[in-house]
Amino acid sequence: MSTIMELSKKEPEGRVEDPRLLMGKGRYVDDLKFEGQAYMGIVRSPFAHARIRGIDFSKAQSSPDFIAALTGEDLIKEGVTTVMQNQWPPQKPARRYHLAVGKVRFTGEPVAAILVRQKNSLEDLLELVEVDYDPIPAVTSIEESKAGTVLVYEEWGNNLSQSGDEKWGSAEMAIASAPHVIRATEGIARQESAPIEPHSALVRYRKEEEVYEVYATVQSVHGLRERLASELGMPEKKFHVKVMDMGGGFGSKGAQSYPEPLLACIFSRRTGLPVKWTATRTEEFLEAASGRDEYCDITLACDKDGKIIAIRANLECDVGVTGTQNHMSMLSMWTLLGQYRVPNVEVHMAAYTTNKMPLGPVRGAGAPEGCYFIERAMDIMARKMGLDPLELRRRNLLAEKPGKEDHVGLINDLVGMAGYEQLLKWKSEVNSRYTLQGPSHSNLVAGLGVSYGGRSGFGGDETQDEGWGSEKSPEGRSDDWSSQGGADQWQKNSQDSRGWNSEEKSEGGSPSWSGSDGDGGAELDFESEYARVTLDRKGNVTVYTGSSPHGQGIETTFAQLASEELNVPLDRVSVVWGDSVRVPMGIGTFGSRSAVTGGSAVVDASRKLKARLADISKGALVDASTNRSGLPTIAEALEKQGLAELSAESIYKVRSMNYSSGIHLCALTLDVELGKAKIVKYVVVEDCGRIINKKVVEGQLHGGVVHAIGGALLEKLGYDGQGNLLTTTFMDYCIPTSLDSPDIEVYHEITPSTDALNGAKGVGESGTIVGYAAVMNALNDALSNVRPGAQVNLVPATPDSILAAIAGE
Amino acid sequence: MIPKKFDYYSPGSLKEAIRLLRQNEEAKVLAGGQSLLPLMKLRLAAPTALVDISKLADLSYIRDEGNYLAIGALAAHDAVEHDVTIKDRFTLINDAVARIGDQQVRNLGTIGGSVCHADPAADLPVALLVADARFVIEGEGGKRIVTARDFFVDLFTTAVGHDEILTELQVPYLAERSGSAYFKHSLREADFAIANVGTIITMEGDGKRCREARIGFGSAGPTPVRAASAEQYLRERPLDEGTIAEAAERAIEGASPPSDVHGSREYRLKMIKVLTQRSLRLALSRVGLAGGGVER
Amino acid sequence: MSGRNVRVAKADELTEVSIRINGKEYRGEVEPRTLLVYFLRDELNLTGTHVGCDTGHCGACTVVVDGRAVKSCMVLAVQAIGAEILTVEGLAEGEKLHPIQEAFTENHGLQCGFCTPGLLMSTLALLRENPHPTEADIRRGIEGNLCRCTGYVNVVKSVRAAARALSEARKEGSP
Repeated sequence: MSTIMELSKKEPEGRVEDPRLLMGKGRYVDDLKFEGQAYMGIVRSPFAHARIRGIDFSKAQSSPDFIAALTGEDLIKEGVTTVMQNQWPPQKPARRYHLAVGKVRFTGEPVAAILVRQKNSLEDLLELVEVDYDPIPAVTSIEESKAGTVLVYEEWGNNLSQSGDEKWGSAEMAIASAPHVIRATEGIARQESAPIEPHSALVRYRKEEEVYEVYATVQSVHGLRERLASELGMPEKKFHVKVMDMGGGFGSKGAQSYPEPLLACIFSRRTGLPVKWTATRTEEFLEAASGRDEYCDITLACDKDGKIIAIRANLECDVGVTGTQNHMSMLSMWTLLGQYRVPNVEVHMAAYTTNKMPLGPVRGAGAPEGCYFIERAMDIMARKMGLDPLELRRRNLLAEKPGKEDHVGLINDLVGMAGYEQLLKWKSEVNSRYTLQGPSHSNLVAGLGVSYGGRSGFGGDETQDEGWGSEKSPEGRSDDWSSQGGADQWQKNSQDSRGWNSEEKSEGGSPSWSGSDGDGGAELDFESEYARVTLDRKGNVTVYTGSSPHGQGIETTFAQLASEELNVPLDRVSVVWGDSVRVPMGIGTFGSRSAVTGGSAVVDASRKLKARLADISKGALVDASTNRSGLPTIAEALEKQGLAELSAESIYKVRSMNYSSGIHLCALTLDVELGKAKIVKYVVVEDCGRIINKKVVEGQLHGGVVHAIGGALLEKLGYDGQGNLLTTTFMDYCIPTSLDSPDIEVYHEITPSTDALNGAKGVGESGTIVGYAAVMNALNDALSNVRPGAQVNLVPATPDSILAAIAGE
Repeated sequence: MIPKKFDYYSPGSLKEAIRLLRQNEEAKVLAGGQSLLPLMKLRLAAPTALVDISKLADLSYIRDEGNYLAIGALAAHDAVEHDVTIKDRFTLINDAVARIGDQQVRNLGTIGGSVCHADPAADLPVALLVADARFVIEGEGGKRIVTARDFFVDLFTTAVGHDEILTELQVPYLAERSGSAYFKHSLREADFAIANVGTIITMEGDGKRCREARIGFGSAGPTPVRAASAEQYLRERPLDEGTIAEAAERAIEGASPPSDVHGSREYRLKMIKVLTQRSLRLALSRVGLAGGGVER
Repeated sequence: MSGRNVRVAKADELTEVSIRINGKEYRGEVEPRTLLVYFLRDELNLTGTHVGCDTGHCGACTVVVDGRAVKSCMVLAVQAIGAEILTVEGLAEGEKLHPIQEAFTENHGLQCGFCTPGLLMSTLALLRENPHPTEADIRRGIEGNLCRCTGYVNVVKSVRAAARALSEARKEGSP
């Protein structure tokens, strides 16, 4: 049984990265300038679906500011490949080029690029580029996509991008005989990451070395390097990709292959000029990979005691033109099972392509959807059975196992921490005051909602074993990758992964690494990360990491890890990231992975370094601390070996990814006439294993929860009947402001991970994953006091949809 | 993000400003810029010249003129929000201006700029129409005064001619036993209204019957609208839940709100009714408080 | 804004402007359509003030002009002549953080840092206007600053702490 933690003594007061960010000395890509840089702009399609008849640059070319232009045909001549598309999960190839060739497939799709001398002239000249379009009917919904009257990719024959199944036991039979069955149609509209910093790229082609120096807003410099190399057909070593500070990503700056860095590379090489591009917010909305847009028809069956017997679900996802990453609906399929024992499962998923911008990972990347679908269903079941929603969870959550969260324990904590009984009383008082008559009436009803979740399912959580019936279906479990076939970029078969370290690097001054070129070292993949830790003669430690912070505090937390392992004061440790040369390999920061994989690699490398220091000091005082008496020891030891510094590397692969689990509670009031909800209390009780930095962890949870609140109540990318995106500003796409966000209380249990070397579990997305259902369950609880049976299951639950539910429409 | 090119003028006097407008057919007045600049940045507006009047300090004031309050067109929203007289005696204007944008927008945006922009979903036009404000417009020929009903002509169009400038708003003081309120319903606080309603109630001496009710709403047509039928209905009637509800039903006559990504027509009509009721109730509760209500 | 400013600036010409920022006069050349935020970032290399949107909604560009929080993307550079402008670069004294900056780092009021300069300047203006804001006052005061990372919880905490710190400093007689 774990304990509520005490503040770690080693946590610093503020973060290492704070001073420069607070002083306005952050180095975001748009802040960077090269002498003589030129400015790139993109001509974008105003149509969702149209043939391109011709592009005319002549008017733009007549300006002295015009330098050069590119079209899709130019890219083909350059030998540029189609936009990169991961083949995991298996899906149809969506062949399109970074600049549209032949036809455009979404409003905002890049059609041409121009390069100009002056930033102020860019939009003037963009307006002068004339493109002749022949509009064709657009596929604007899953229904239209299914109908297949218009094809997004003609060569497909239909509009189905991918499909999948998860099946064991016999859900059909179980549902037929179950005493309690509920069915619901749920969904989350198309939403997006919306980091406050727009995408940006700055490229300088260094002619003598034939190297592209690329600064870009990416969550992984190595990922961008790989994409550029692959799409431009050049070796990776030709690209030096860098990012320093980045203003949020939330998935949109992840693996999606955007055209701009590639186009900037071509322009820079052709003209010899540095090339700068920064998206406007409108372009962000048009082009950045969006998320969610997933709908679920779910049937949940329970026995007389409320134990789940079966889940049957049909998931449909609108993936737009299909992006680089398309695993989101697969992740939804797994997280749909929650953290529960489910003996019979039948889930079918289909992803449809439409004339919208590509879908990509958005904080949670499929897990918020899955968790929402099951947690909403659990709530509907609890109401049907007259059971307290927390009790229904208790009866179904997997039992505590070593290294795993005590799910029931977290729920019991919540009851105390949130003052559950008092909240029930409060709710009852508010609802009894509610009447619709009289001038002094109260228009407010109250609701309480809970949601339990984590990112389980992804990575083959072996505790699913408990839920199986005696018969496995022939396809096996969907997270058994060997049965999937097809390219597998993300995961090795979970059966053969274990904690895996690279070979130690050779001693010597300059860094070199024993890479993953088949010499038996671990391969870098989703469950691993690279780190190198060095110690110089002055006792300064440098941590090189493949992780890439953009708000997560990694510059501080990884320094903390090295500082602890090496017993070196925190201010002697610096962290280097975001440089594909200084950090030769890496996977990056997304998917709640950095503390677990990146952090473990740092710990592993630090331990190896410590061992090597002990080794070369041959029994002498080897404490790597830099107290005055320690310094000469390190310096002497290194000098004796003829070393300027000591270094150790790690490619650390965890046995399996670990994520936090938690219970969220949301209390809200609903103005019944206006359909406006106001969250008055929000409590999180969670277990993310060892907490490296409490403020950082809680900050991630706060931000994640508010992202879910926005998703549940405010955010939607809206389209018209012709597939035009209507929400292209922060006025129309409503992310939460300070007035839309509640105070959030967070409490922790600590069950250290047995897979991560630092005992941590991923928590970056947890707030968002679990939050949607907490808010929607509270809202629906409130609605049940207005008109029994009134429900809103399609998200965002905006006031008009709430009023429609009350009216029974 | 970068506007199209334009010439910029910063005249030293109103007269000079008017002359510059006359000389440039496509020139626009720049006051706080909080409505105009975003449009220019999106290139939805592209005037070839801007006449910046924001430095004309003598157009920024709030003055008691005996039987009306005079507000200079360049008074910033923030100044209006903090003005005690307005809060006391024209609470609905205080309610309205407090809902405009956010603090930064209220710091620079001006009353005149906002009403001349004449967005149908804006807050001030509704409040001023309900308050029967008068608009002082100056041109080369001199001053003229236009009523609120005549001022708002169409979507983003007012009675101010191309070479004229709005210089002052005159808001007649409310009679005794008056109360007022303005409500806005929007997704988030700072968003443009899905529905917005302002009301002024003046009660008879017996305190029971309504001598006069003024009800107006926006976001339901090209200009803000006075709900004449509802106003007529409430005259000499007691104000109770029944009459308030009936007034709300009648208020939507003449309302033609759009259906768009923020809400359907039916939903908006429903909201006008709800806000009318709430506004009437709050205005009523403010009657008898100093000057017409400060309590919220 | 107060003060004298340029009388005429032609569309196709560059006009020389002199603007007071953080107590210092800065000169540069601008077109009439050059927004203040771009003047700061591109002409003067004061890149602490950020651009996050097109329509003046995100507030990342917030600076303080004549004591008031203003979105510098909604102001022309030519309009700023004669005004006293404070940007995030003017808060710290050398390496010594301003009490508001201290409060933000101690209370984890920033994560990616992109919206932070704008938030700091809004906070500065807010606390000058209202030295003892309630939570509601704070949330209303920073309504025009969008943040996607923090969920505002620790931002509110930071502003409260900053209010306390500034209040203590006033008691001790420091400015």
